[in-house]
Amino acid sequence: MMNKIWSIILIASIIYAFVNGSIASLEAAITASSTKAVEFVFGFCGIMALWSGLMEIAEETGLIKKLSLFLLPLTRLLFPSQKDSDILSTMIMSFMANIFGAGNSSTVFALKAMEKLDRQNNNSTIASSDMCMFAVVNMGFAPIFPLMTLQIRNELGSSEPYSIILPSIITAFITIIVSATACRFFERRS
Amino acid sequence: MSHFFTFISVSFLPAMTLLIVIFALYKKAPVYDLFISGAKKGLETSLEILPYMIGIFFAVNSLTSSGFLNLIDKLVSPIFTFLQIPCEILPLMLLRALSGSGSYIVLQDILEKVSPDSYAGRVACVMTGGCETVLYVLALYFSVTHVKEMRHALKGGLIGYFVGIVVSIVICRII
Repeated sequence: MMNKIWSIILIASIIYAFVNGSIASLEAAITASSTKAVEFVFGFCGIMALWSGLMEIAEETGLIKKLSLFLLPLTRLLFPSQKDSDILSTMIMSFMANIFGAGNSSTVFALKAMEKLDRQNNNSTIASSDMCMFAVVNMGFAPIFPLMTLQIRNELGSSEPYSIILPSIITAFITIIVSATACRFFERRS
Repeated sequence: MSHFFTFISVSFLPAMTLLIVIFALYKKAPVYDLFISGAKKGLETSLEILPYMIGIFFAVNSLTSSGFLNLIDKLVSPIFTFLQIPCEILPLMLLRALSGSGSYIVLQDILEKVSPDSYAGRVACVMTGGCETVLYVLALYFSVTHVKEMRHALKGGLIGYFVGIVVSIVICRII
């Protein structure tokens, strides 16, 4: 699927740029994109290493397991067949970081969870149901305080910058329910 | 109010650190050694995701710089006008699935054109909060696995994304 989406995006963009006469700006943007990607990953790898270090401590000492007990009912519902408490707690940490608006931290936990799920899936090339459910649900979690958006609203002189918080949370909530239900449906069908 | 929100967000890392280190000392674990071995694994993961990020940035930058996004805009906007949905949110709708940082630039653009407190402005903000960067997240998450076949992850994510768009359009009319 990624193969198709990726090629379609590239082919359509490049052909359109030739027709449209914007080939020079396309070339510049493509060249810049590789630099940007490297800058992004290098900017990210510090916090990634830092959290991974902290997580290693929290895992080895059993703290993670204790913390995850809070959200256990939720994960039981989403991942009924998942018995590994280590995986469950890493996923919960990712959810919590997302809710608190710590996006980068959430990504770190998510990648750790995916690595663990991959091992549990015997490094198979076919995704496990829990992988799909986790990815889809985790991306739905909106931060309680969407800092970037609030900041932009503030800068541009909104009279009530926080008025979007409640609708955002409701939207995210509905989105999560719908996509989790969709995942469960596809799971059963396959 | 704003200070309070920022405080909660910025407290997450320091508070967790405090909790983790104190708990580890109580358990008499070799804190520093564990930290270093975890950090090493974290760096390895960062390197693993780099090729995938280059691939994603490549596609997103081609899409925005070629003007292809504007073309789709023009094609779809009559339908939006017919449904009485503000056309301003279209570029955001298309780009949000692919890129987080890209969508903030588009959001800022939109809010400069229409007021942040207008209907279109609010829909744009709620959409940025309620819809996630589906394709980006999937590419990133699966980059650390051996998975080649994502099964229903993409379908599930896109269904959620679409529902998120519809809900943000509707909810801003109600609230």
